[in-house]
Amino acid sequence: MGEIISIDRLLKSASALQTGTAPWAGALREQGREKFSRLGIPDRRRESWKYSDLALALTKAPKGTSVSRVPLALDGSYLAVFENGVFDAARSKLPADCIVPLAAVLADSASPFAKTLGQINGAEQTGHAILGLNTARMEEGFVLRIPKGETLSNPLHIRFNWPAEETADVDGRHVRLLVELEEGAEATILETHRGTPGFATVVTELRLAQTAKLTHVRIDQLGGASRQTAITLGDVSKAAQYKGFYLSEGGHFCRHEALFELTGDNANVEIDGAFLVTGESHCDNTTVITHAAPHTTSRQAFRGVLSGSSKSAYQGCVKVRPEAQKTNAYQMSRALLLSREARIATKPELEIFADDVKCSHGATAGELDMDALFFLRTRGIPEEEARAMLVEAFLQEALDTIERADLRDVAAGTITDWLSLHATEVTHAG
Amino acid sequence: MLEIEDLHVSVQDKNILKGLSLTVPAGEVHAIMGPNGAGKSTTSYTLAGREGYEVTSGAIRFKGEDFVDLPPEERAAKGMFLAFQSPIEIPGVTSMNFLKTAVNAQARSRGEKEPTAVEFLKMLREAAKKLNVTEDMLRRPLNVGFSGGEKKRNEVLQMTLLKPSLAVLDETDSGLDIDALRLVAEGVNALRCPERSFLVITHYQRLLDYIEPDVVHILAGGRIVKSGDKTLARQLEDQGYDAVIGQAA
Repeated sequence: MGEIISIDRLLKSASALQTGTAPWAGALREQGREKFSRLGIPDRRRESWKYSDLALALTKAPKGTSVSRVPLALDGSYLAVFENGVFDAARSKLPADCIVPLAAVLADSASPFAKTLGQINGAEQTGHAILGLNTARMEEGFVLRIPKGETLSNPLHIRFNWPAEETADVDGRHVRLLVELEEGAEATILETHRGTPGFATVVTELRLAQTAKLTHVRIDQLGGASRQTAITLGDVSKAAQYKGFYLSEGGHFCRHEALFELTGDNANVEIDGAFLVTGESHCDNTTVITHAAPHTTSRQAFRGVLSGSSKSAYQGCVKVRPEAQKTNAYQMSRALLLSREARIATKPELEIFADDVKCSHGATAGELDMDALFFLRTRGIPEEEARAMLVEAFLQEALDTIERADLRDVAAGTITDWLSLHATEVTHAG
Repeated sequence: MLEIEDLHVSVQDKNILKGLSLTVPAGEVHAIMGPNGAGKSTTSYTLAGREGYEVTSGAIRFKGEDFVDLPPEERAAKGMFLAFQSPIEIPGVTSMNFLKTAVNAQARSRGEKEPTAVEFLKMLREAAKKLNVTEDMLRRPLNVGFSGGEKKRNEVLQMTLLKPSLAVLDETDSGLDIDALRLVAEGVNALRCPERSFLVITHYQRLLDYIEPDVVHILAGGRIVKSGDKTLARQLEDQGYDAVIGQAA
């Protein structure tokens, strides 16, 4: 056991951050501090953290090791670089006129973002301890705003470089991003995380005004000793569309939450995800999709490849408010278990308060198809290659949901790279 | 080409093959016919090296080499091909990608040079055209959503590209209508040559109208009970298994 991480220790530097902060931002931080103090570090006694005990993960020494990875790059994209949670403007290549650093926003007493920062999907923010912590301690980050009817000409790659080796920095790095797409605006974001944060929270708030369209691909390539909780909050209004793809390789503690509220007619949220975990790694995908307007649609489909003695969780909740008639919600979780010790917990939840809705969900967990494996081998493909082929094939359906070929290639390359790094765990059954 | 000698095979501790002996010389087409439960599928899976098909005694020699302990992929690289009774669907792997992987893997295993992308595509297009396998089918996931006939044509396409020395056809006629059967049989016949042998395993004589065998063997109770020329197949069709096997026993 390492040092006991207390609430006070995690909040220690929060008050110092208040210097130079505008009154509205100061009040927001104080609310966050109060919320986190009251709720505490989530542990397994809290239902939604049952499979992801953050309190335990912060005190327990990680067993996992880190493997160095080639940095992901997207040709022709804008670039926003965070070095160990600190925004590095010099190494970034930002689009003109649409990015404001978080510090400038928080210092501005008349900031137009005071209405949205910390307010997106408010219902889910209320009882969320980690959102409280992030709000209390947010220091680095930025706001991206795309004006009405405009399209960000190139994708924005937000690249998080965390330390290459394990650090004792469990006090945490807390990054806050806000993306506002005004009416009809469009943007594509690639968010990548590489390395080993001692403890990081990354909160991204998304506001999609009418008919706005956001494509968001996030790739976690965190080391086995990393601890991270990332939360993506979204407000998707009338006829707006959010299309997300989340790829994760887990970590000592690796959780991503997607908390979306569909607030206007015909709003649409589609989230596809894939995760590959091995060794002692942990990976948690938690989603809460709230349909708060009629004729809204959502889709969530996750595929996991589990080996070693990894532990994963998928918790998918769909809420349908009384006014959200004609909601169509779909949720699916498929897991491929490559070892007897790997575990996955799948928890679908439906809270439906409207009567004219279509909601479906399903979950499967199974091993590699032995008939397919034998077939490939009879065609001369060696067993290890055949196994890797079947694992890639399993994930292909998720990859196919990424519309842009360049983004799909980045995600596919990450998977191929992971499979070759972990060939032994993947290709030896048992 | 293939010599099977007094082969005993058990599956889940149940003896299925009980002294199967068979010799298929190069360039010949042999048929194995037999009633349900005779051991037809066990024979094909054992030849291909499927796990769980345990050879308890006897020998399989392929081109003079002992085959029993080789994994399926090595048998394939040495020239063995099994056409499946129910071809496997593999979502997420396109036919084209699969075929290229298989051709390359076999070339590597034999220490040959892998064909270039251009060479491979030329070879693939030629073979696909003859079998009426469209470009669209090649781009789709292997066999997913294909009809019975399309799947079997895919098997023959694989055979054409992999150029085996021995092709074992496991009930290739099952699930095919006459037109599909004819197309598949034409594909197989086009591959007949003095260096290549075929072992056609079937329940019905029908397939043998299209792929004419040199020798017909009757498999019953896990061993060959009678062998003859192609008229034996006709005799089986006319008189039934019971009568013919009865005479042999």
